[in-house]
Formats: sequence, C-alpha cells, structure tokens
Amino acid sequence: QVDVAKEEAYRSVEEARDLWQRHERATADLSAALCEQLRLILEPTLATKLRGDFRTGKRLNMKRIIPYIASGYKKDKIWLRRTKPSKREYQIMIALDDSKSMSDSHSVQLAFDTLTLVTKALERLESGQLSIVRFGETCEVVHPFQKPFTSEAGAQVFQWFGFTQVRTNVHSLVEKSMALFDEAKSDTKADMWQLEIIISDGVCGSHDQLQRLVRRAREQRIMLVFIVIDGLHKSAETGGIGTMSQSILDMKQVAYETDKETGQMSLKMTNYLSSFPFEFYVIVRSISELPSVLALVLRQYFTEIAEVRE
Amino acid sequence: MSTADAQASLASSTSDDTTGQIRITLTTQDKSVAVPDVPLYVPLNLKRYGLSEVVNHLLATERPIPFDFLINSELLRTSLQEYIVQKGLSSEQTLTLEYTRSILPPTFLASY
Ligand SMILES: [Mg+2]
Repeated sequence: QVDVAKEEAYRSVEEARDLWQRHERATADLSAALCEQLRLILEPTLATKLRGDFRTGKRLNMKRIIPYIASGYKKDKIWLRRTKPSKREYQIMIALDDSKSMSDSHSVQLAFDTLTLVTKALERLESGQLSIVRFGETCEVVHPFQKPFTSEAGAQVFQWFGFTQVRTNVHSLVEKSMALFDEAKSDTKADMWQLEIIISDGVCGSHDQLQRLVRRAREQRIMLVFIVIDGLHKSAETGGIGTMSQSILDMKQVAYETDKETGQMSLKMTNYLSSFPFEFYVIVRSISELPSVLALVLRQYFTEIAEVRE
Repeated sequence: MSTADAQASLASSTSDDTTGQIRITLTTQDKSVAVPDVPLYVPLNLKRYGLSEVVNHLLATERPIPFDFLINSELLRTSLQEYIVQKGLSSEQTLTLEYTRSILPPTFLASY
C-alpha cells in the first residue's frame, strides 16, 4: 500500500504525532476557512440536476407527457427526481517535495503547515479520496487513496519527510502520479476528476520536458496545482558566505541556445518563472495567504468541471 | 567561450539533463563590477569561462572582462558539477560564488 519501509522513517511515531498536532493547531482556523471556501465552490457541482424517468418525483418531465397520453397512460414514468449527489467523485493527491533544497527551517515549517492545512480542509469536506506522496530523487506513496485520512494517518505521513534527497525530479513525480491516478480510477467510476497539489520550492529542472508531460496529464483530466513555497532562502549552507534572502520571483534562468542563423551558442537569461511549466501555480510566502489563493485556483478548477458536466 | 566549447558543454548538459542545473548567487568586493543580488539557476557544466560570461551578461559590458571565481575563498578550477562532486555536495544546494577581476595572464585564460 505504501512505498516506504518502516526502517526508513526520519522520526519516531511519537515525534511525528507531536509535530502533526503542532501544525494542526497552528493552521486550524485557516483550515476551517479553506474548508468553508471549498464547500461554497463544491456544493453547486455536487448537487445533481433533476433527471430521469420515474413513476413518482418532484416535477413532471414534459417530454414524457404526450407519449404517456398516447400510450393510454401506460408509459407512466413521467416524473423527474433529484438524484442523490454521489460521494467520492474526486481523488486528490498531495505531493510534498522531500528534497534537500527544502531543508531550511522556514520552508519545512511552511511545507508542513501547508500539508496539514490542506489535508484537514479536504478531510472535513469529505470531498473524496486523499493520497499523499513524497518526491525527490524518486517518488513514493506515503498515504494511499484507499486509506481514510485521520489525524493518526497524518502523523504517520510526517515520519517520511527528512528533506535530505539530493535531487528534485518533478518529471518522474508527474509520471508516477499519472500512473497512480490511472490505477486508482480503474477500480471506481470512469468520470472521476483527479487533482494533484504539488508542494515544493519550485526549483525543478527542465521546463520543456515537463511542459509536455503536464499537457498529457491535462488530456487525462488530471489537474495539477503547484504551490510554490517561497522560502526566502538563505544561502548560509555549505559553500555559502552570504545571508541574503532569495525569492523565486527574482530568480533568473541561464541557458545556452543555438542561434538559428549563425549556428552559434549564445547565453540567454530569462525569468525563471516565465517558463514555469505548470499552468496553475501559486506562490506562498506565509501560510495565512494560502486558503484564499488556493481557493481561487480550485474555484477555477471546479468551475471547469461543472462546465464539462453541463 | 568558443563555439566548440559551448557546444561540448551543451551536449553534456542535455545528456545528463536531470542533474543539469544549480542555484548560485554572485558576490564581489569590487564595487565597479557588482551585479544585482538575484539568485541564478545555471547549467552545472559551467566553468570559470561560462561564469564570466554570465557576469558580463549581467553587467552588459561591451568588452568582456575575465573573472576568477571563489567558493569559500577557494579558487574554482573545475566545472560546478565537478566541484560539487569533489566536495560531496549536491545540486540541491545554493552556491555562493565570489568573483574578482582575473589576474591570470590572457594566454592561460584562453586554455580554459
Ligand atoms: Mg529541490
């Protein structure tokens, strides 16, 4: 069910429980706020329309009236009913970056806050199944869709994050998530909407390749939302002498490109985020910003779902 | 950087795409060539010559000034990739590079 072995845990269950509770408390109000915002967004999409051919119901189906009379009142399924909103229509995967670039204390704090805030809000909403994966060099499931997400489950999830992985392979994360979503979909209904929320510092290698993959995910109706934890990194680790703050908003990407005419390589400098491969991303510097921005993005997403269903 | 050099370095960057880049910040004591304090995400195969090119690009100099680069007061003599491997670091780290106007003779520079 989970891809991680017990021996690999970065902290004991007790410690993880304590950590979870602390973050849960710190984000309780925000989580309630996010839940309310999501409820407002979700409810109209969950309430189903009047439909069907029933012998009893709420309202007459006008299209059935003439055949009803013509059949000598035999074809009497002339009523519309409001069918029950179906539960578990969404599957939401949360992917948390476990790479070393996340390891400064501000980012870790913010990442754990984000994780508790979002999972608690979604749990309270009962919007569907929830899975959590971690990624870095590789990508592993630390909480599967099939398992209910309780506080204890949350605490256990915290055991698997040490922020020591020496690579950030977002490409393999998206690839694996797509496979996981595909698998999870097969044992339920076909018209499942799937959402992945990626929590990371946003430093993620080749943009071009990722862009193609993100497009493929979209074709499979997997929605990807990227939450960029802007940690105001301090470069005081090994190799660092300064303590300047660094925002991803200021980061420049350096690359060499071939000039089409001369065939010569030349240096190109662009804003890192200008080619960021994810359509929906939000930049978060303090946890209090998160509920409203995330709600904004998800509202956009759920509005799209509602339109497709019309 | 000569075309051949650049192409060689690009070839190596595409063949090893997943470990291709690292965050750096540039500092200098020399106020006449100071660049804005922004993080840069650069190819790991950059050596001193490529890094000089980056600084010159930021300075928008007309004639390129050659620079030397120091990490923790130690002169960078290899690519960033080789440096982090030697030091047991990873591309997850941010390197702070201090640069100075190069005092090495031009002929020596050309061999880089
Ligand atoms: Mg990273």
